[in-house]
Amino acid sequence: MAKITIDKTIFEFEGDQPSLLQFCLDREIELPHFCYHPAMSAPANCRQCLVEIGNPERDRETGQIMVDEEGNEVIRFFPKLMTSCSENISDGLVVRTQRSSDLVRRAQKDNLEFLLINHPLDCPICDQAGHCPLQNQAYKYGPEGSRFEFRKVSKPKHIRLGPRVVLDAERCINCTRCTRFTSEISKSHQLTIVERSVKNYPMTPPGIEFDEPYSMNVIDICPVGALTSEDFRFKARVWEMSSTPSITTTNAKGSNCYYWVKDNRVLKITPRTNMNVNEFWLADDDRLDYERFNDDRPPGPTVDGEASSWEDGYARAAHILGNVDGNRIAFLGSAHASVEDNYLLARLAEKLGTAAPMYIEHVEVGSGDDWLRTDDRAPNASGCARLGFTVADADLFGPRLKGGEIDVLYVLEDDPVSTGLCTSDDLHGVSVILHHYNESNQTLPLATVSLPAATVVETVGTFVNIDGHAQRVRPAKAIRGVNRTLAMEIGRSRADQHGTPFDRWYNEENLINCQPGWVSVPGVANALGLDMPTTNPKAIMAELASTNSAFEGATYSAMGEYGIRLSEIGETV
Amino acid sequence: MEVKPTGQSKAGDWKNFQRVLLPPVKDLHKLEVYEAEGGYQTFRDALSTAKWTPPAVTEEVQQSVLRGRGGAGFPCGLKWTFMPPVDENVPRFLCCNADESEPGTFKDRQLMEYNPHLVFEGILLACYAMSIKTAYIYVRGEFADWITHMEAELEKVYAKGYVGQNILGSEFSTEIVIHKGAGAYICGEESSLMDSLEGKRAYPRVKPPFPAQKGIWGYPTTINNVETLACVPLILRYGGEWFSQIGAERHPGPVLYGISGHVNRPGVYEYPTGMLITDLIEQVAGGMRNGKKLKAVVPGGSSTPILTAAMIDGVTMDAETLRDAGSMMGTGGMLIMDEDTDIVAWLRRVTHFYHHESCGQCTPCREGTGWLENIVSRIEEGEGNIRDLDLLVDLCSQMEGRTVCALADAAAWPVRYTIERFREEFEARCRPSLVPGAEVMETVE
Repeated sequence: MAKITIDKTIFEFEGDQPSLLQFCLDREIELPHFCYHPAMSAPANCRQCLVEIGNPERDRETGQIMVDEEGNEVIRFFPKLMTSCSENISDGLVVRTQRSSDLVRRAQKDNLEFLLINHPLDCPICDQAGHCPLQNQAYKYGPEGSRFEFRKVSKPKHIRLGPRVVLDAERCINCTRCTRFTSEISKSHQLTIVERSVKNYPMTPPGIEFDEPYSMNVIDICPVGALTSEDFRFKARVWEMSSTPSITTTNAKGSNCYYWVKDNRVLKITPRTNMNVNEFWLADDDRLDYERFNDDRPPGPTVDGEASSWEDGYARAAHILGNVDGNRIAFLGSAHASVEDNYLLARLAEKLGTAAPMYIEHVEVGSGDDWLRTDDRAPNASGCARLGFTVADADLFGPRLKGGEIDVLYVLEDDPVSTGLCTSDDLHGVSVILHHYNESNQTLPLATVSLPAATVVETVGTFVNIDGHAQRVRPAKAIRGVNRTLAMEIGRSRADQHGTPFDRWYNEENLINCQPGWVSVPGVANALGLDMPTTNPKAIMAELASTNSAFEGATYSAMGEYGIRLSEIGETV
Repeated sequence: MEVKPTGQSKAGDWKNFQRVLLPPVKDLHKLEVYEAEGGYQTFRDALSTAKWTPPAVTEEVQQSVLRGRGGAGFPCGLKWTFMPPVDENVPRFLCCNADESEPGTFKDRQLMEYNPHLVFEGILLACYAMSIKTAYIYVRGEFADWITHMEAELEKVYAKGYVGQNILGSEFSTEIVIHKGAGAYICGEESSLMDSLEGKRAYPRVKPPFPAQKGIWGYPTTINNVETLACVPLILRYGGEWFSQIGAERHPGPVLYGISGHVNRPGVYEYPTGMLITDLIEQVAGGMRNGKKLKAVVPGGSSTPILTAAMIDGVTMDAETLRDAGSMMGTGGMLIMDEDTDIVAWLRRVTHFYHHESCGQCTPCREGTGWLENIVSRIEEGEGNIRDLDLLVDLCSQMEGRTVCALADAAAWPVRYTIERFREEFEARCRPSLVPGAEVMETVE
């Protein structure tokens, strides 16, 4: 097997390998770097990842590796330091990093001194501070001070590159990650470097706005605070927020993300690397989809338009459901709700002798692309289909309501009126029981009983994306009231475990009075006297994974951080 | 093996040297005059004679020991052999680097003006030797007049059938494209030249892969300097043996010396390599202006290390000797400075140039060139500090060899060697280093 020696440690490898830098990073050998990004080409322009590289010296005639008197291989080192990001790995390579070489340590320090001479060092007001590669690496590998005694170069500040991205050219260290993103990843070619020498910075070509649907990715990959989000700038420092790994729900791709929460309000959404789903990236509309978690939320359950308690809501819903024939109830599941919630709804329908729930399709043809945005604007249509739900057809559903065939409409976390499934006229004389996320839900004014539902950032659940990838969501913020499952999960999921001292996540003011579907659906069922124990979603999913072949193996432990690929449904039908 | 400057000219009987690159023929730039002088005959012979197979042409160039005239002095024939075997499905390119912009260098311009057909013929022969179907001439953007001039001549060459499809009835086809450069010094660096030619921003590429493996648009490419290619027809006409006998043994051939500065007759002179610097100044360029004393010589363009008057004694203009003397041959663009020259001001101008021309890709060069200029300017204005000199040398060490291309080295060498060799002058400009808190040094009346 081929071997490579890094700082006197021997690593064996087989087959094609990434660059030396990635090889080291994969083995938790830290090498400072700025311009290198695993998804893009390596221009080797930041010159930070310098290492010493040598090869065993071979006898020119025999080709044998030469050995010294003590039997050690004679290593010939390159006279220059090499950038590890552009260096390929070959058998016998000997590498000295900053951990074992003074030369490398010195070179890395020199380079950081250069990087900082024209950097404004405005960390106290910079959004990137706290998770800034330049800041971190300057502390770790940089010089103690600077010998630069001149006026720093001044370059344009707060330039609006596009509707969502703002540039501070002085902070830029010209790593070209952003321009390479637009030329190699998104292929929009909307950014280029302008000017020369210390004056250069990324800019859009004349007359072009940086408005591609993935523009905000350059904010994450920027190793300094040069590119910031128009939306998030100056809202919160990174250490004031807690982050929770989860998925986004604006479309059926289920891109992995972190929800950043402060005082129980979601402030921003950033991508989370999952090579099976979204790789390193996240679409702009996914990132900006957080206000509906904070604002426009219902104050609590209502009965006949009047505020009520949860118990009264459940009782009234049970009363309605218990007094009609099962055939005259229609259940609508939801492509916005988790698999668990939909499954419990199906159980309720089954116990009442009603046909299996249907769900509303949220397809907007042409709104997606072939990357991270799908035409289907709901996160879990695939999960509904796997539960055996059929798509509710507006041509059939409205007339049935109007024709008086249905007395009760039970809607789980969706909006039949705004989606055009039926009109508000159709619902006259129909009792509507509605679990809803937002006050702007147009079915809400017609609801007899409304039960506020926990959104994706407040619940635990499973979503199946368009490719059949089942992934868990975790609670990023708390809801009003005590729920043991959520309380335990919120602590377990957060990267910082308990929230930072600046983030008062139990802050009463911002707690929403809502319940996850896996609490409120059994609440209604139990009020009806049906046997449906309020179990936690983990147990529900474990039950589904063992009983329904469409969810085979999809237990919480199997899904973990990155989800699992379910088998095709076609195979089991 | 160390070659000590011998004090002997290696140029032989240079006073009777017959010029071949720029022969004294009136209107040589015109096609008919060039042909009347035997031009394009070598190319005709190469196409029609069985002896001149493409490998034989390369072999002849290798035998001539022709070394690149663009500054690095890499053996030309060897470079040609790096091209991969011909594959009909893979395009391959030749690029003539005419982006001459090193301060102190102005020789390629003369060739393009007075003997462009020699360059065209050299390109055709190189294309023939490497089976290349497309050749680019990347001309510095500021040379607008020379581009017009060459394009007019190239039209005539096309009309005559020396370029194009099935040249002179043979199997060999090639096209020559004159490309106007994008106006930056960095475009002369071969890998950024390729980027610039492709219509991108000129950023030097990481090597390897070298141009012969992955060049223009990712295809095998050979890049040669104008003067290098101009030597090729001469080598084939008179033989590699003849070429290798001219001038210095390991760096032979006729060469264009661009002499500028405080001499009586600055200009471009064609002589063999291995000329004594003193001969070039005193005999060729007519001696120092106004009878002043020589102070310093920069032998090969502004980036090559400066030599003091004391250091040039017996030094000849060829790569090996100059290396041993502590400098480089570079492009042969010699800057001659007399005793009145303010060396600090000169260095300030040079650092300004490299600061202005750094492409900004690599950190040490982007930041370092500006910093160097800052400090040198401060010293020139009398505001410098003695410790600045050590800082300058330190910064040079932080830049040299740490970047993608050699611009950082080119920017650092003048600073390092000028300070090393003229330190007293810099120190005289600086304020003495002060112990912090001990600044009350002025005499109180």
